[in-house]
Amino acid sequence: MRAYIAKRVAMTVPTLLLVSIAVFVLMRLVPGDPAQLMLGDQGDPAQLDQLRRAMGLDRSLPVQYLIWLRNVAHGDLGRSLANDLPVLPLLVERFQVTAGIVLVAVAIAASIAVPAGLLAAWRQNSLADLAIVAGSTLLLSVPSFWFGLLLLLLFGVKLGWLPVIGYVPFVEDPWRALQYTILPVVTLALIESGVITRMARASTIEVLRLEYITHARAKGVPESGVLWRHALPNAFAPTWTLIGLILGNLLGGIAVVETVFTLPGLGRLLVDAIFARDYPVVQGCMLLAILVYVLVNLVIDLLYPLFDPRVTAE
Amino acid sequence: MRHWMTAAVAATALIAAAAGDVWAQAGTIRVRLNSDIRSTDPGTNRDENTDAVVQHMIEGLVAFKEDATVGPMLAEKIAVSEDATTYTFTLRDGVTFHNGAKLTADDVVWAWKRYADPATKWRCAPDFDGRGLMKVTGVEAKDPRTVVFALAKPSALFLTVMARVDCGSTGIYHRDSVGPDGKWVQPIGTGPFKLGEWKRGEYVELLRNTAYAARPGRRDGYTGNKTPLVDRLRFVVIPDAAAAKAALLSGSVDLLPDTNNADAAELRKRPEVAVHETQTMSMSGILFQTKDPQVGDVRLRKAILAALDTTEIVKAVTEGEARPNASPIPTASPFHTAAHQAVPKQDLALAKKLLAEAGYKGQAIKIVATKRYPTSFDTAVLAQAMMQAAGINAEIEVLDWATMLDKYSKGDYQMMSFLYSARLDPALSFEMITGPKATQPRKVWDNPEAIAMIQDALAVGDRAKRQAIFDQLYARFQADRPMIVLYNGMETGVTRKQVKGYASFVIGVPRLWGVSIE
Repeated sequence: MRAYIAKRVAMTVPTLLLVSIAVFVLMRLVPGDPAQLMLGDQGDPAQLDQLRRAMGLDRSLPVQYLIWLRNVAHGDLGRSLANDLPVLPLLVERFQVTAGIVLVAVAIAASIAVPAGLLAAWRQNSLADLAIVAGSTLLLSVPSFWFGLLLLLLFGVKLGWLPVIGYVPFVEDPWRALQYTILPVVTLALIESGVITRMARASTIEVLRLEYITHARAKGVPESGVLWRHALPNAFAPTWTLIGLILGNLLGGIAVVETVFTLPGLGRLLVDAIFARDYPVVQGCMLLAILVYVLVNLVIDLLYPLFDPRVTAE
Repeated sequence: MRHWMTAAVAATALIAAAAGDVWAQAGTIRVRLNSDIRSTDPGTNRDENTDAVVQHMIEGLVAFKEDATVGPMLAEKIAVSEDATTYTFTLRDGVTFHNGAKLTADDVVWAWKRYADPATKWRCAPDFDGRGLMKVTGVEAKDPRTVVFALAKPSALFLTVMARVDCGSTGIYHRDSVGPDGKWVQPIGTGPFKLGEWKRGEYVELLRNTAYAARPGRRDGYTGNKTPLVDRLRFVVIPDAAAAKAALLSGSVDLLPDTNNADAAELRKRPEVAVHETQTMSMSGILFQTKDPQVGDVRLRKAILAALDTTEIVKAVTEGEARPNASPIPTASPFHTAAHQAVPKQDLALAKKLLAEAGYKGQAIKIVATKRYPTSFDTAVLAQAMMQAAGINAEIEVLDWATMLDKYSKGDYQMMSFLYSARLDPALSFEMITGPKATQPRKVWDNPEAIAMIQDALAVGDRAKRQAIFDQLYARFQADRPMIVLYNGMETGVTRKQVKGYASFVIGVPRLWGVSIE
């Protein structure tokens, strides 16, 4: 098991290196200059050169990359070109916001979607199945920004029940944190529950057609027992993989939801940094997103044998 | 299932019942920022949002008045020597910094030295050190209330550039604003508000300066009476325009300083908000690359102008809010006289005649635009349609702002639907578009005679002489037609009705002194 974990972790190093090169090169290929953005339509070429020198942008690209890589190896992700803040603490601070929202939202989405998928599969072609399939299709088709704005207008503007903007960390004031995170969490949970429901339904239908289920029924096992003890453990494994992929993906940033609800998360930081051509922040965000993705999927893989004993971590 | 739903509704209602007192704070005005500020160091790492916040904490010797002319701020009076190379500022008595220290001439000299130090990276340093508009040869404290600035030669723009908002108004801050290592810590200025808390990515909170020494009289632009009337200002970062509108309507913010025209039209119908508009000195227009093989031909540029119904374009892209203006001198400027008021009329016959004279054979002409500023894109779409109606093969290339700015600075375009930030003197308005392309590729108009005339206008102080220069410049501009000026921007601020005393300002950044909330 330890060897397996070590191998998987070691495999992330070349992945991160390749990603860092790709992000570095692609960002520099995109036209736009952070120094020019800072000066706007004012400022002459001499000022621009001076600012570019001060930002270290006058050096050749390979030199810039190697300096950055050496610093990363020492745990220093550099400083933001936009506000001169160290990138690493910035990423940690923003990641906490994103992680808080995403973990709760995915947990809620999974606890709604898995039973819903199971129910739909169990009552396949019934009215309940139709309603669940229609609902989940609608949810996975709706853009998150539109759904978020809709909730915001209803609960924030029309009813005035919940705050429209802002964020309070849970450790600072749990009660207020709850008020500020309800809408983004609900938005994300409902959107993601659509795809999880579809997966849970499809894999359960597949399992319910297998012979051992017929055998269990023939033995006289009650239907609830067939469903929870025999069908669910086997049908859950693919859904668990999907939940892992969703989690890894969302932890890398939920830019749209963060923008609509003005959450100071990782996704918004990345988008702002791209528009500002804030290279160190973009590179830091991408590295973190990839690292989180790889680690989340490693954890998911390691937990896989719990749901499917046929799989071993060898 | 019904129990779950009942429980969920009950929980939401419970949270909602307690939520009423959470986001409203008495004596606080909450203002939307569309992105976080970049720093609190005036005139260095800045953008428009940064300037807006910093202007509430920092004051300079001079500041812009409501009519965009310059008046004293920390100075009580300003004496100019006969040869216009020595400016003597007498400081107002009784002004203190946020830390309680009294403002003295030594503080002015210290702040100036920091601005002039290349390590500060003050964006306006080149304008004062001889590389740009003028050269300050010395700054001296004659006595605790008198500071003397010496210039190498006369400049009509010394006070104007000093007051520029993007220069941080050359604000005077206390030496404790920087740490022992010389690095900026926080602004300890003389302004009506002082820094409370900056929570990056979320908000900047400013607190009332209870010891603020206000000038007598009324509020007047960035000078005049700047008494703070609320305990707290909170500038809240809300990137998304739709979320910002929802926040205003729900009472989560009190002011949207700059709303787009479509939202303003909708918000005007809402009883709970008030809309405040003013014409600013920013400039929107279509640039030509005069070095381009096609639009380098002045006949083709004039044909394109004749093809456009500029009045209709302005009406459409600004929802009828802005007035057309064809001159680089903004309509709000006192120098925008009769010679600058005519707006070109669409003339398709003339357009076709000029196209034939230029030997135009239907080659594609690309207009670069950005959706970051919707009016840039909308202008390009309308211009394309009108040019096509005249037989010009116009195409549009849409880019993000950073890419478009990069192309602008390199002069890498044929036509560009562009927005210039405000320049508060006509000489600067012409200077921003005029210059040698060989050394400054971003310049639109490369005409040595015009460059020389602008240099004259920068040095001459006499109003009538300056007006004559600007009128001649505009005549040459029309003959060369390096760009099509369309209109000056509108600043549309929207407040909740509880906010009293707010007014949009010609410079286009919000001012929250003299503003209260019920």
